[in-house]
Amino acid sequence: MRSVILLVTGLVLLAVLGPLVAPADPTAINIPNRLKPPGAEALLGTDAFGRDILSRLLHGARWSLGLAFLISVIGLVIGTIVGLAAALGGKLADWVVMRTTDTFLAFPELVAAVVIAGILGAGTWSLIFALSVTGWMRYARVARGIGLSLTTRGYVVQARLAGLSPLSIARWHYLPSLIPSLTVVWTGMFARAILGISTLGFLGFGVQPPLPEWGTMLLDARMHMRSTPLQMIWPGLAIVICVLAINLAGDALRDSLADKGQTA
Amino acid sequence: MRTLLGFLLRASVVLAATALATFTLLWNAPGDPALAIALARYQSVVPAEVVDQIRAETGLGLGFWTAFQSWLGAVLVGDFGNSAVTGLPVLPELVTAMSYTMPLGLAALAIGMAISVPLAILATRRPGEWLDRFAVAIASLGTAIPAFWLGLLLILLFAVQLAWLPAMGARTPSHAILPALTLGLGIAASLTRIIRSGILEAREQSFLPALKRRGVVDRTIGRDHIAPHAAIPVITVLGLELAFLLEGLVVVEVIFGRPGLGSYLVSAIFSRDFPRVQAVVILTALVFVAVNLVIDLIYRLVDPRIGENDA
Amino acid sequence: MLKVDNVAVRRAKSVTLRDVTLTLPSGRTLAVVGESGAGKSTLIAAILGLVKLARGTISWNNQPVSACRPALVMQEPRAAFNPALKLRRSVMEPVKARSIIPEMGRLERLCDGLELPPDLLDRRPAEVSIGQAQRVGILRALIAAPPLVLFDEPLSALDAVTQKHTARLIADLQSEEGFAALIVTHDLGYAAAYSDEIVVLNKGRVEEAGPARSFIESPQTAYGKTLRDAAFALGALELAA
Repeated sequence: MRSVILLVTGLVLLAVLGPLVAPADPTAINIPNRLKPPGAEALLGTDAFGRDILSRLLHGARWSLGLAFLISVIGLVIGTIVGLAAALGGKLADWVVMRTTDTFLAFPELVAAVVIAGILGAGTWSLIFALSVTGWMRYARVARGIGLSLTTRGYVVQARLAGLSPLSIARWHYLPSLIPSLTVVWTGMFARAILGISTLGFLGFGVQPPLPEWGTMLLDARMHMRSTPLQMIWPGLAIVICVLAINLAGDALRDSLADKGQTA
Repeated sequence: MRTLLGFLLRASVVLAATALATFTLLWNAPGDPALAIALARYQSVVPAEVVDQIRAETGLGLGFWTAFQSWLGAVLVGDFGNSAVTGLPVLPELVTAMSYTMPLGLAALAIGMAISVPLAILATRRPGEWLDRFAVAIASLGTAIPAFWLGLLLILLFAVQLAWLPAMGARTPSHAILPALTLGLGIAASLTRIIRSGILEAREQSFLPALKRRGVVDRTIGRDHIAPHAAIPVITVLGLELAFLLEGLVVVEVIFGRPGLGSYLVSAIFSRDFPRVQAVVILTALVFVAVNLVIDLIYRLVDPRIGENDA
Repeated sequence: MLKVDNVAVRRAKSVTLRDVTLTLPSGRTLAVVGESGAGKSTLIAAILGLVKLARGTISWNNQPVSACRPALVMQEPRAAFNPALKLRRSVMEPVKARSIIPEMGRLERLCDGLELPPDLLDRRPAEVSIGQAQRVGILRALIAAPPLVLFDEPLSALDAVTQKHTARLIADLQSEEGFAALIVTHDLGYAAAYSDEIVVLNKGRVEEAGPARSFIESPQTAYGKTLRDAAFALGALELAA
């Protein structure tokens, strides 16, 4: 848990402070200065419009990481509610919920997100909607599974006998047991959201230029692959480093939970 | 037999729900679809009569349920309608697209297996030693690299810098090398992780020391006892790999300018060609559900315990 | 009065009940005895409405049992409490959930009767002994003053000394509070010493039923006799003497 908290703090700091320490305006166009290699003026060079790439990367953290955080948390909330409704709501609710989940899982998530974002029209809001709507099912499955295993626990039976409402039972007796496993799922979904945002951005369905989202930056950079190949390296590297760090933190958390005997 | 029937029933519910969801989404898409089609078709400003004509011809003027029923009825007999842009039937286009996508997907899967299986077996010979750590590190890195960036890097290295391989199009078999490699490396990364932990878990099974004591040779143990145990998670994961593959195909076909289902879908979305989008969505869902059905059946054959718990 | 009338329960994997009939008047104590697997826990679940009845009815004063808000004391004291919450929270659940305001000083009085130090409730389940946890379980069962309390093997997780002590406390509280107690136990000595009537369950059926004393002196059925003689042989009936 500590590694995840540390990592999240680091990434939040990057997203919040990144734009503040950026040396230049990420959208300031300076055509005479275009496609400059890395140097003293622009540490990582400039893009086709003469914009400072380092500044765009730092500002892009807010889009790529911030949106990924938002999307993965929306998925977490939806999935937990859906999963608990299935576990607590009786057989009919469980059937309806699980068939709905199956339907959403019957399609590769990212392809579904491409279709949804594309049809709704490219833009940040369609991106958030598309990735959230396709990103809650894993949480729901885990929440339901743990929820079902809790229904016969002594304290849950006692809470029901005491006359506690299903909502209070979910809040006080289910949620605390779900947190460790859902955190593991969340790290995976956070990483997936970063990849999803950049992929949609790269395909042109996501955050729109001139906003400095990392996938969108790669779409620009691709045009100038021959003249300034380095321009294509930086945003990709930023994505890989963030995703790798999140995945490693998630693995560490899962291992420490497995050692404690809690199932993830 | 009952599980098979139940599964087919569930699969058809899922497919019907997918169809309805897609149709609802398209129906409520922002903007006037008829105008979008007119623009895509004529590439210039069009008079209002032409837009009205398109609306009538594509059934866009009908009510939601009428349109959905007539579309679903046609799909059930294998008629995916005509492209709104070109007016040509969609089905032959799908078949052509599949003829590019399927070999690419299979090649990628083959590359993924060819790398991951030997790597995992070698790595688990001495768990924790440098080769094992190297395999784990490479696998972690591989799963963190977005497919589109890996594709771009491969183009940069092999097509731009070294000029060994062509980057764009699908004219010759050598055009397929870089796309297949892009997808295959991604698959190899996640498969290596899974096969590795599968083998390690199977090794820990209690019966293995007993077999060794009885003098059963290492190679026989590996073939007869470890392999089936390691195979179960691999089979399960192939379903997930399929999702990864389909997601990757969309990106890779776009980057490498290859005709295929993925690039067909993306261009259909951009031109708001709804019959084409619907057809790809249904076909993808069908493939996905069918493959998962097969995986589920194999799974039950390998491990009869599965299925007792999930009704 | 609790009335279980001709009840049958079918369950896929555990014990079923067949034609179970019994009554428990208000304020009295009924012990249900039998070997493990006789259907004792299923009977409790049926009375609490946690399983569906295949046949028959269960009522409290001619109303559904749930209307009288019965309480349950469980076999595993710690498992009955959410490990993450302080005991006070769990104890107050029955009154909070129904917005009942207990009479002034009731909690303190019950704590006193159960010999629980006042600050114990600010600990978590893992921080108290098993015996204490079981007494907190009894406290929770009684806090909302239910007319019917079910005890599912309330002593079997405790050591011998604590068993006697806890049995005494339950009996004393019952005479003060006047609730009806249905005690499920495999311990015939406990049943004989602390209950008015005994019902013997065997393979889901009522083997025999009657006043506790007369059952110990002369069981009516062969099975009842075997059960009693086994208890004698183990010295478990000392409590009754």
